[in-house]
Amino acid sequence: MPLLSRFETPAALRDFPVGSPFYDRWSEKISELLGAVELPGAAGPEPAPGGTSVGGFFNPHLHDHNPVAERVLVWMGFPRDLLITHRDDRQRAFELGEARGVTERNTQVEYFEWRTTREGERIKKVTFVTETERYWQEMFDFDPDRVLELYQTLVDPTITMEQITNADGSYNPLNDWNTSRGIVHYIVNSPQNTLEAAIGLVQGSVGRLPDRHVRDNYEITSGAPTSADPRVFIDVDDIARKNLWVTFAEAIGLYMIAWDDTGWTKPDGSPVGNYWRIVRGQPGAALRLEYEVPAAEGFDVSDIKIGGRPIRFGGHLAEHITVSVVGRAALP
Amino acid sequence: MAKENLDKILAEVSKAEGQIKPQERGTVNATFGERAKAEKKQRRKVAPRVGRLGPRPKKDQEAAVKKVDKALKPLLLSLEFEPVFADNERKNIQGNIIPGFNKDYQYFLFYRIKTVKKAKGWLRWIAPLISSMEDVLAFNRLYRTLRYHLGSKDVPIKATWVNIAFSNAAVAKLVSKEAALSFGDQSYRQGLAARSEYLGDPTNPRSTGNKNKWVVGGPNNEADILVIVAGDAEKAMLEMVHRIKTEAERGGLELLFEQAGETLPGRLRGHEHFGFKDGVSQPGVRGRASDAADDFITPRYIDPTDPRSDLFAKPGQLLVWPGQFIVGMQRQSPEDLFTAAPEATNFPNWARLGSYLVCRRLRQDVKAFWEFAIETAASIGLPARKFASMLVGRWPSGAPISRTPGADIPDLGADDLANNHFLFDDATRPSNLIPVPGYPGDTHPQAAADLLGAVCPHFAHVRKVNPRDSATDLGKIADSLTRMIMRRGIPFGPPVLGVGLPGPSLWKKQRGLMFLCYQGSIEDQFEFLTRRWSNSTVQPNVGGHDPVIGQEGSQGNRDRFIVVPTSPKPTTVKIEDEWVIPTGGGYFFAPPIEAIAGVLGA
Repeated sequence: MPLLSRFETPAALRDFPVGSPFYDRWSEKISELLGAVELPGAAGPEPAPGGTSVGGFFNPHLHDHNPVAERVLVWMGFPRDLLITHRDDRQRAFELGEARGVTERNTQVEYFEWRTTREGERIKKVTFVTETERYWQEMFDFDPDRVLELYQTLVDPTITMEQITNADGSYNPLNDWNTSRGIVHYIVNSPQNTLEAAIGLVQGSVGRLPDRHVRDNYEITSGAPTSADPRVFIDVDDIARKNLWVTFAEAIGLYMIAWDDTGWTKPDGSPVGNYWRIVRGQPGAALRLEYEVPAAEGFDVSDIKIGGRPIRFGGHLAEHITVSVVGRAALP
Repeated sequence: MAKENLDKILAEVSKAEGQIKPQERGTVNATFGERAKAEKKQRRKVAPRVGRLGPRPKKDQEAAVKKVDKALKPLLLSLEFEPVFADNERKNIQGNIIPGFNKDYQYFLFYRIKTVKKAKGWLRWIAPLISSMEDVLAFNRLYRTLRYHLGSKDVPIKATWVNIAFSNAAVAKLVSKEAALSFGDQSYRQGLAARSEYLGDPTNPRSTGNKNKWVVGGPNNEADILVIVAGDAEKAMLEMVHRIKTEAERGGLELLFEQAGETLPGRLRGHEHFGFKDGVSQPGVRGRASDAADDFITPRYIDPTDPRSDLFAKPGQLLVWPGQFIVGMQRQSPEDLFTAAPEATNFPNWARLGSYLVCRRLRQDVKAFWEFAIETAASIGLPARKFASMLVGRWPSGAPISRTPGADIPDLGADDLANNHFLFDDATRPSNLIPVPGYPGDTHPQAAADLLGAVCPHFAHVRKVNPRDSATDLGKIADSLTRMIMRRGIPFGPPVLGVGLPGPSLWKKQRGLMFLCYQGSIEDQFEFLTRRWSNSTVQPNVGGHDPVIGQEGSQGNRDRFIVVPTSPKPTTVKIEDEWVIPTGGGYFFAPPIEAIAGVLGA
């Protein structure tokens, strides 16, 4: 298969006119992040079980491997560690899923962050994102005015350049409109919700588990208490164990692949309508998703019940949103 | 339905039936010697954590991490130290939870309490009849001993068992509203009817599966009490049912609904109405019935020198800590396959050693299932039986398609030490078994790696509800162990398979499965499996709905689909019919036996 000529933007976004040099810049950045050298999985201190070969990680822009399959890796958007820590008190888990104020997203560690818009205690809208700081930083470096324009469109038309930049004019990802007053892209940094972390997770999982004697997934005995990290490293290592090489499928990004509102009911008990709106991205690869009841319905999100339970937190919706990354397996 | 289609179905199901052979169970109770500690130590080498690294956590996250550490701290209990069920525990846990009645004849009585005082009197009457874990274990031991000595499955002892469970509303009536509210499982407090739409049941009031049309358990006919009677002999079981009904009439109880269940006859024994062997895969409960080192609740068949003996009771039967099924006992760690997590705390003290019971009366439309299988198979160029088996993940005999993709192997389906031994993601290695007299060993082909679902599709029922070695949308494999349920279902209604050409009146009769399962949390186990995996097109892996029991209910839409791994590219098949239709049930709690008279009947 020929080398990939250019990496796409996430969900093939067109934030700049077609033909803009931004797209080449973005592609170069992705290639840089994926690395210039192949990462063979058998580089560990011990040979693979049975002396078999183990695949590795490659940059499809630089290295030629014939793809044989795509693998969609999915996980729950709501933070798993909160649910298992508060196994006997789910409401506490949902409370911790969105502490109020500047730190409200600190626990949202599944490459998935959300913000709940309230009027008083009533929830009017919940906004979910899987956009990375890297993409917005690259856009800002290319054209700050376009970033301001997007902020104004997505969050609030009154936002000024000063409000999203530092004193030296550089982009401030932790600006108020992406933290306490709005949401645009990932901010959580422990563990990091970043594109670099996602790439590092995949690269670090390719046949490179410290225990080289793993023959099946029952023999993997460790992992972070999230859904995302074990999901990725178990599946990626599994592919590499079969002597296949791994990379990301285009367009590289973290996406909301699906959401399930089965059993969500209006105040009259009938099923809700389609109140989801993909603001950025596309079906199966949403980057910014909003849930808001149209005014004509005469009620708001707080009036909806999920399985007979009222919605009190954005996390009650986040539990039903599935996040994904798509990997590609290729021949050696 | 056109007659030619009906004939095709009958021909197809007859072929399926013809493949089925009587189940042959293993014939010994395993005994164990000393554990191979050196190997275990080697296996327990903990690999370093793999995942994202980040800056030092902020203060609130540090607190969260500390809580995680506290909650998940391994109790360092190895196999030798699995919990011993104390005498009081064995006598209080109801026997259908552990080890399970497993009787050919069962009867279900759904009652509503009309007069609380009289009902309490009836509870004091029935309490001594309730069969305990101790009773059922003792019978099973005797049965196995006699079978071993007689060399025959025809053992001349029979039993009739009784168990009971209560809705949350019943607890409120019999004890107090405060007591009812002190049960931490919110789904139990709400009841099945309130959760029906969440489970994907039809929301259209005209639909036959809508809760307003249920025979029991709908908004207007929810049962307070479920009595389960089970026996080896139908006559003795029915005599017990009669006794209970007679006393209940005097006891201020209104019989809302009754349902007989029966193992399908002849060569369909152990199969459900679509013709597939059922109940093959059950979790094995960790723990021992006495201080004896080898007196395990779940018999062990894997040789102690095989490291997998710490993970499986028999090949494919994963071991799970008992708190997943008995509230108040140590639970399964969601982080580690082998270790325990602390017991639950969100229930009233008197309810310790009880279990949440989900009952669903599921009608099965055999004609619709096979018509879909036959017509779709023809459209995509697959043999009908092969395609139907892909929907289930097993051939009618119970043989996993992962082990025999091309054709059914009835001997494999009948081999309890082999028919559940397979992985999905990696090639399956044989297990080392202890010597089993008369058992030649697992000589059948082993399953090959099928990470991408080319053999057993991601939508297959057995892959949806039990992902085995696969990572899921909740991450690691240990999490899947916390989702397992203890299934105790039995078919109801007359079969149409194996009866030649059934007439219209037989087709019209209702048949299906009385689905029952026990668990420590309805929301985290039964509801999780149903909604998060069976009903989802993308979870635990992308590939469509579970075509057997999965339902779609988003915004009232009912259409389902599966992505069939055809060559050269997958085929997406839309499913418009429904062949598993909910018609009743309830959420209950099976309390410890001493609480029946001592608390609920006091």
